[in-house]
Amino acid sequence: MSNVLRPGTAAAAFAALLAGGAGAAADDRAADFAWRSRLVPEFHSLRGDSPFAAGIPLTAFGRERARFEQEAKGRLGPLNLRLTAQGNGMEGRAPVAKAIANEAYADFGSGADRFTLGKKVMSGDVGYGFRPLDVVQRENRRQLAAPALEGIPVGVWERYTADDAWSVIYANPAHGRRGQARQDESLALRYFRRAGAADLHGVARFSGRHGAEVGAAFAAVPDESLELHASVLVQRRGERMAVPVLAGPALLDPNRVLAAEGIRSPRRALAGFTWTWEGGWSVLGEAWWDGTAPGRGDWKRLLAQSAVRRGLASVPGVPTAAVSGATALSTRLYEVENLQRRNLLGRLAWTDPGGDGWSSALELLLTPEDRGRVATWSITREAGAWKIEAGLRRYGGAAGSAWRMFPERGAAFVAASLAY
Amino acid sequence: MCESRFVKFAAALAAAAGLFVPIPGAAAADVKSLLREADAYRMVGDTARVETEVRLFKGGALDKERRYAVYVKPGRRSLVVFKSPAERGQKLLMVGDDFWLVMPASQRPVRITPMQKLLGDASTGDIATLTWAEDYDGSIVGEEVAEGIPCLKLDITGQRKGVTYPRIVLYLAKAGHHPVLAELYVASDKLAKEARFRMETAEGRRQVGAMILTDRLQTARETEIRYLSRKAKSLGDEFYNPAFLIRAEIDE
Repeated sequence: MSNVLRPGTAAAAFAALLAGGAGAAADDRAADFAWRSRLVPEFHSLRGDSPFAAGIPLTAFGRERARFEQEAKGRLGPLNLRLTAQGNGMEGRAPVAKAIANEAYADFGSGADRFTLGKKVMSGDVGYGFRPLDVVQRENRRQLAAPALEGIPVGVWERYTADDAWSVIYANPAHGRRGQARQDESLALRYFRRAGAADLHGVARFSGRHGAEVGAAFAAVPDESLELHASVLVQRRGERMAVPVLAGPALLDPNRVLAAEGIRSPRRALAGFTWTWEGGWSVLGEAWWDGTAPGRGDWKRLLAQSAVRRGLASVPGVPTAAVSGATALSTRLYEVENLQRRNLLGRLAWTDPGGDGWSSALELLLTPEDRGRVATWSITREAGAWKIEAGLRRYGGAAGSAWRMFPERGAAFVAASLAY
Repeated sequence: MCESRFVKFAAALAAAAGLFVPIPGAAAADVKSLLREADAYRMVGDTARVETEVRLFKGGALDKERRYAVYVKPGRRSLVVFKSPAERGQKLLMVGDDFWLVMPASQRPVRITPMQKLLGDASTGDIATLTWAEDYDGSIVGEEVAEGIPCLKLDITGQRKGVTYPRIVLYLAKAGHHPVLAELYVASDKLAKEARFRMETAEGRRQVGAMILTDRLQTARETEIRYLSRKAKSLGDEFYNPAFLIRAEIDE
């Protein structure tokens, strides 16, 4: 429900517009509007031998068939709006339509001091596959043909010089603690400094869930072809989704299938590089550690418990629905940001240097702890106002690895978008 | 790599043979002054907003059009705002040798390498770079007729690592010193593009109306960069801070 357009958000932005007045803009024009239509047919193949097969019919795995998005984006003075009407088609279910205010905010101020009020995308950090410092937006980096980001309700004060920037971000006012960390009320301080060939980033965030989170990052270009980046975050109070030790009837208790577990001072860190050379080729390599991810023991327990649940299904008196429901709930472990603590990502990409609009990329995500892997290939063609993307993703790895147990074997998509 | 070494060797040999020895009459001429004069035909003052249209031709037929607003400020600062519907939301910032890109999907500034800057429909370096005097120095190596116009021939090299083209052979009209032709070389010393400059009289002054780039690495491609308008406009220093790129004051 939180992502559905709420009149109050737009009203806040309009109020800010009236209160702040027009700031100094780069362009003299007062209004600017753009539209984009996007159709994304997709196909997901289920894994027949999944340990979660009993619960899959109760989940969304393998059901997504098509998505249509109509985006309107506009600027009127300091007021900015990005609205998306979205229709989703899922196998066996009636199509669902909704309207989302991705962004509705006013940017205003002048000189060194700038302000933002409303709902705005607040992405941060320097990584590609994982962004430890993205503590406000908390962008999902695993989605195929991802829809436009949805912003966070914020009040922001920023101070700029030529090389430094400070931001004080009050996010989700009066929310307190909600279901997800990105919905929590929080106060964050972000710092940016350009130091020669390097960018330095710092962040401190305070929230009821995590207490203090403090992190730093850098991105540097030491050579005309090489870019290096790294970031690290320490949380005072971490939280992870864990698989508790269960036996007997407790295995079917929907409230005990998974448990949020507190951890003290977990760390999240990433290091990576991008190498680009003539001919349009580039390679990206990243390694990261996520101290809030499930451990290998969690996945082993999940596999074992799934086998026991399957066995319970044939025990007289045990409701099949209870087995299916508990199994379906256990797949929520796949909703965490990283399935394992150690992750490696390699990405080979090519962009047509001649300007024909072709580009392609091959990505391989590895989890060395359990030897799981995800391979993704995509190809894009941009021609005029059209952009056509297509891609394939395959989940696999060693038996018992988290990605090998993933309820889907693979996915394919085509996305056609028209901008006007 | 072999070709690059051969080109460098040939250039050194030619220099040794006296082919590139600065001509005595022109040696006294200040190359920097000539470049400043040439720059004045593309810029209006030190700080400006230049509205630019890029048209890409393949086999002589128009393939695509793109529009950009380029804000230029002393200190080698350029801000490119992508204006076409298909690219709307993208911004590229160049500060000295450093480059940042913002894509609409992520809305966070990403530091990119000079090599990444060269990728895309038209090299953003071609669009964002409107001056030579600040970045290049060299010598006058002769006089030639280019495009039917008697010209001074300059061989200039980038004085910093971030320039789009480390070496340019530039032909400036002897009368008025407006740019006529430029041979643009990439880091491997390959001739990547040739730029021809179309002059026009607009807003009461003679200026470069368009730059036509012919790709020498991929033939049959031609890019026309038209300068639709030039206005003296100065943005605050904060606009050239990479963190500022996500703010809406920079028009999308």
